[in-house]
Amino acid sequence: MNAPTDVLLEALDVTLEYDDGSRRVRAVDGVSFTLARGMFLGLVGPSGSGKSSLMFLLAGLRPPSSGEVRLLGKPLPASPDASASARREHVGFLFQEPFLVPYLSVRENALGHTTDAQASARLDELAAEIGMADKLEERPHRLSGGERQRASLLRALANDPELVLADEPTANLDQTTGRAVIDLLRRQTRAKGLLVVTHDPSMLTGADRVLFLRDGRLVEG
Amino acid sequence: MDAAATGRAARRALSPWTYLLRNPRRILPLFGIQALVTCLLVLIITPTNAFEATAEANVRPLEIFTIVSPRLRREFDEELLAVLDANPHQQERVRAKMLWVRTPMIVGEGYAPLIALPVEVRDAFLKRVELTLVDGRLPEPGEDGAVLHEAVVRARGMKLGDKFGQLIDPTDPTPGRFTLVGTLAGESRMGIADFAYADQPFFVLARRDPFQVVYANAGAKDASDAYLHAATQEDGESAFRVVDDDYVRGRIEANLKNLPLILGFITFSVAIVVALVIALLNMIAFQVRVDEFGLLLAIGHARRRLVGKLAAEAFAVAATGWLVGLALGLLGVWIYDQVWLAPQGILLRVLDPRPLLFSMSVPVLSTLTGAIALARRLRRMDPVAVIQRRGV
Ligand SMILES: Nc1ncnc2c1ncn2[C@@H]1O[C@H](COP(=O)(O)OP(=O)(O)O)[C@@H](O)[C@H]1O
Ligand SMILES: [Mg+2]
Repeated sequence: MNAPTDVLLEALDVTLEYDDGSRRVRAVDGVSFTLARGMFLGLVGPSGSGKSSLMFLLAGLRPPSSGEVRLLGKPLPASPDASASARREHVGFLFQEPFLVPYLSVRENALGHTTDAQASARLDELAAEIGMADKLEERPHRLSGGERQRASLLRALANDPELVLADEPTANLDQTTGRAVIDLLRRQTRAKGLLVVTHDPSMLTGADRVLFLRDGRLVEG
Repeated sequence: MDAAATGRAARRALSPWTYLLRNPRRILPLFGIQALVTCLLVLIITPTNAFEATAEANVRPLEIFTIVSPRLRREFDEELLAVLDANPHQQERVRAKMLWVRTPMIVGEGYAPLIALPVEVRDAFLKRVELTLVDGRLPEPGEDGAVLHEAVVRARGMKLGDKFGQLIDPTDPTPGRFTLVGTLAGESRMGIADFAYADQPFFVLARRDPFQVVYANAGAKDASDAYLHAATQEDGESAFRVVDDDYVRGRIEANLKNLPLILGFITFSVAIVVALVIALLNMIAFQVRVDEFGLLLAIGHARRRLVGKLAAEAFAVAATGWLVGLALGLLGVWIYDQVWLAPQGILLRVLDPRPLLFSMSVPVLSTLTGAIALARRLRRMDPVAVIQRRGV
């Protein structure tokens, strides 16, 4: 199943340094790993260990100071604007906050960035599977925290991406709701790649592999 | 949902109208300012055409005949009359006296011709200038009666039997004294008095220049006027003072010469101020959309497309504000005309292309400044900063 052609995401010795005025902060330090299709990869680390920084590197939103990120076998261009179309087409995102547009319905939030004609049918199906079928026409302010995160899950999956990157998707949710969101996420990405970043290892019980990050470096768990 | 419906829903989610219609309270100030300013510009600019419209009506009689007086001599002597009659384009000439009647305009006042004519040529004259008596009667020979255009009568607030002229009111530019005995209607704004009365010896009007009303042959008015302008007397001096439509129109245009410049300047200044205010309001309104655009950038929407969306929104607000402002302004001008100007005999063109063209600078500049301000804002936006909440 993990044939080389099925490698979705590769980090090759990537480093990210921030120039924080007086001092240089090495937020990500020589990280390498691969994420293959069908794989649920977990990334754990304490606050400030560089999880989000790594995530932005993988998404092409920050150019690495050194090293390379490959998405579907192709190196990501250095500029976030140049990698935008690849991001939109192949990657779904979940963040700590749902970032729903307040004046759009759940359906419109999800469809706003889809690029294919089947998106709406797929969305109805997805919504039914994650218990959001009756919320599709609601505006975000009428939803609970868990429902909002599920709405942003719909947005992340609406374009049928190959890969889902989730940065602390459960940090704002209680334990039970958080677990439910991760389970839904896992179920919906069985045929895709999934990377979940969290400071809470208990969220990663179903993961195929868990990486530990400390001070920007991967350490053995 | 089928594929077409999906496409529609996706487009609707990012359409400028969706944002505008669903955020009325954020859009209203932007829309309101532009509509209000456009409306005010229409209300300010349109009435300035009342000068031209009224003056044009006062000039119209001179498109039908030309008035000539001796330039250097006191009288039309035989030589001057011979020069006049040598005009190959002249159909007929009539001895007359030419006076002017004051008519209030929107600002200041204008002058309509009052021509004293011999009784026997009067009816033919009225026919030529297409005026009809609508009230009262024409002046009797030797009587101080005068008939004036109904708009002039209305503008001066006169009624039949009222007297006017310098002997009644020293500030009245019409010399002598006249009694209003009738009103005329038609396109040409002018009045008629009796020549015998105006030409009595020892009366003040006898001191006025003698005039000849000259009718040209059909279609030869310009040639006839050219002849009169060029005509010379024996000593080579030019013979006549010629009052024709070109002469009067030239004077009106000279008076209004700087108007388009001033209107343009006022409008442009207003449009610039409005555009800056709009840019500022756009920036303020954008503050609450930082998350929306930060996220769209993060998940891979092209910055260029998002700038386009913001520009389209700015344009949609500006265009609708402008159209609504134009409609309100037109309505206002129409009411102003009906309630205030028309009863005073002041002519106004309600539909005037100038306010439309001038006020267009408001939406154009607003869209430009609004779009440029937002484009710069978006260009500097770092989606990571939005997601990480480190401020933007
Ligand atoms: N824009 C930035 N400028 C300077 N330092 C930064 C910036 N972003 C993150 N850092 C630093 O990089 C390190 C890793 O941060 P981050 O990736 O947010 O960690 P995590 O997501 O694991 O909490 C921290 O020490 C943080 O202070
Ligand atoms: Mg983080």
